[in-house]
Amino acid sequence: MEEKSLSHQLSKKYVQARLVSELIGNALWLIVLLILFWMYHFFEWPRWVFWILIGLSALSLLGIVWSFLEPYYVYRNWRYHLDEDYLQLSYGILTKTWITIPTAKIQAVTTIQGPILKRYRLRSVKVETIGSSYTIPGLDEDVALSLRKEIAQWAKIKDTEAL
Amino acid sequence: MRYHPFTILFRIVQLVKNSFVIALVLFVFRRDSQFWLFEYGRYLFLLYIAMRIVHIVVSWFFETYEWKENRYLILNKGILVRKTSTVPLHKIQNVTQKTTLFHKVVGCTSLVLETSMDGEDDEIKFDVISTEQARLITQLVQQAEQAAVEQAPLSDQEQDGEHMVLQEKTERAAEKERVVHFKPTKRSLWKASFTSLSFLAIIPVAASLYDNLSPFLSDWRFENILPMLSETWGIVLVATVAIPVALVFGVIRTFIRYGNYEISSTDTHIYIKRGFLEESSFAIDKRKVQGIEIKQTVLKRLFGLAEVKLVSSARSASRENAVSVNSLYPFLPQQEAIQLVQALLPQYFFEWEMNRLPKKSLWIKLLRPSWLWLVVTAGLVYFQPTFFHLDQAWWLLSLVLLVIVVLNRILDYVNTRYGVVGDQVQWWRGGLTSRLFITKRKNIVEVEYNQSPLQKGFRLISVKTKHRSNPLSIEGVDDVPVQFATAFDKWYQQRERRCEGDGACPK
Repeated sequence: MEEKSLSHQLSKKYVQARLVSELIGNALWLIVLLILFWMYHFFEWPRWVFWILIGLSALSLLGIVWSFLEPYYVYRNWRYHLDEDYLQLSYGILTKTWITIPTAKIQAVTTIQGPILKRYRLRSVKVETIGSSYTIPGLDEDVALSLRKEIAQWAKIKDTEAL
Repeated sequence: MRYHPFTILFRIVQLVKNSFVIALVLFVFRRDSQFWLFEYGRYLFLLYIAMRIVHIVVSWFFETYEWKENRYLILNKGILVRKTSTVPLHKIQNVTQKTTLFHKVVGCTSLVLETSMDGEDDEIKFDVISTEQARLITQLVQQAEQAAVEQAPLSDQEQDGEHMVLQEKTERAAEKERVVHFKPTKRSLWKASFTSLSFLAIIPVAASLYDNLSPFLSDWRFENILPMLSETWGIVLVATVAIPVALVFGVIRTFIRYGNYEISSTDTHIYIKRGFLEESSFAIDKRKVQGIEIKQTVLKRLFGLAEVKLVSSARSASRENAVSVNSLYPFLPQQEAIQLVQALLPQYFFEWEMNRLPKKSLWIKLLRPSWLWLVVTAGLVYFQPTFFHLDQAWWLLSLVLLVIVVLNRILDYVNTRYGVVGDQVQWWRGGLTSRLFITKRKNIVEVEYNQSPLQKGFRLISVKTKHRSNPLSIEGVDDVPVQFATAFDKWYQQRERRCEGDGACPK
């Protein structure tokens, strides 16, 4: 599994897009934390609440530091490969996962685009199989659309009738 | 076509059965209660019963079923809002026939057709149906399945099926002949009633009995019974009365459940019949079998017994009955289990030469933190409870748990075997309970490999195969060498190319 890596990567722009979305998330969370601290002060909540809030802040600090690093690692570890017969995915920063799905078993393909991805002209591709679903997070728009088309094509040709 | 007229009777009997307890409370036990809930409850209850009965009778006139071109079943429902549903017969996965005492008395049977669909129409129920009709419908379903296979171009599901279809065509005549493969003997039933621990089943039965009767036994509160047990005569009572009663109960239960058991098959289907007073029979399409599981608990291993389960894409019908239908028979002697599987599904075979885990897998299994043990120990350290008047019990308990956890892991290492033979995969794993899973390449819908940083250091990996079932069944082995996973993926990716075009798949 380690020797070869799959052919395709996410879009380089995905790192930035993810960074922006993490920043927004962090900002929102910080506001929530500040409100909690203010409420603690204002409503004179018991002392232990303060310590819990301090603990939460420490954890969030770690989370924030990580959120600056994560996008790059996600990008570096995500790989996929599609051919006529199989869709292969590999991802995971600490624990690595490889997945092999026969295209014939794919039941639905969707492209997804939120406001941030739109800003960067990216799309995610979601693939659903009988029991699970996987999302390739950030691909250039044209790549994503042609991938969707290709998957749909292979999936349709094979799966004439499912039991 | 209308449903069998006895359907009305059946539904009324069901209604009476279901509302009996409420009626008893309202009109017998709380007869004199002036409490508003009971006052109005009585009227409401009578109203409800009357409405239900009217509904049952009227709906019988409105509900009909018919089949068209031997391919579709059309159901009409509803009194005011009419609803028609069309179910293609080949979409029906399971046919379960059940003959309860009621059915025996009126000389009919009941039939449940399960489809792969979700939602309201996922099963079609014939509460009461004449035996001939039931047979006719079962036949129609099987014919439709057959036709669907023959018509459909080779789908991915059935590459191997092609081979079977050819055989089926030539052996059409022989196909209807059923071969009986298994019937339990008296001796095996005795064995079964002890290994199943079915005598323990008296506990929930007794508890529910106690629960129902407790309002009338004010002196027999649980708190009053408990101290009695610590007295000598209490123990003697338990030993001489309760244990034999439990044993007899267990034996009777097993005999009733498995006494009339019969496994038979034709070329295309496997039939399981069971039940003594209430007969139920179950048919499963062989093509829908996605894999075989042979499971042994510690107790069964001691007695040399095993349970054979079929993982199938059909929905499991285990809602009503405790005995799940996908289990062929839970108490088969090991050797017989293997023979049975080979007789039922000849394309499966057993290869005992399998890979074993390398030594380093044992180290990784032992190194991995046990969350169960950590949580329990943390709890024990915090609360430091005392058991059996022992102050030190908490760390003893933690130690015992640790030993069990470690033992289970070592056993898992010792028991795990895995291998690929031809187009067949075998996963054999498990600590105290061991499970051997066998499947074919075409039945694997997805493969997943996971590698944690720890596994990466050891160059080990976990392999998971996923199979079409309800819910999705996930099998696999942990901590196998990376080389195996690479070879396995290559093997998996070979399937389609070699199967396409020429119908003959590698066996």
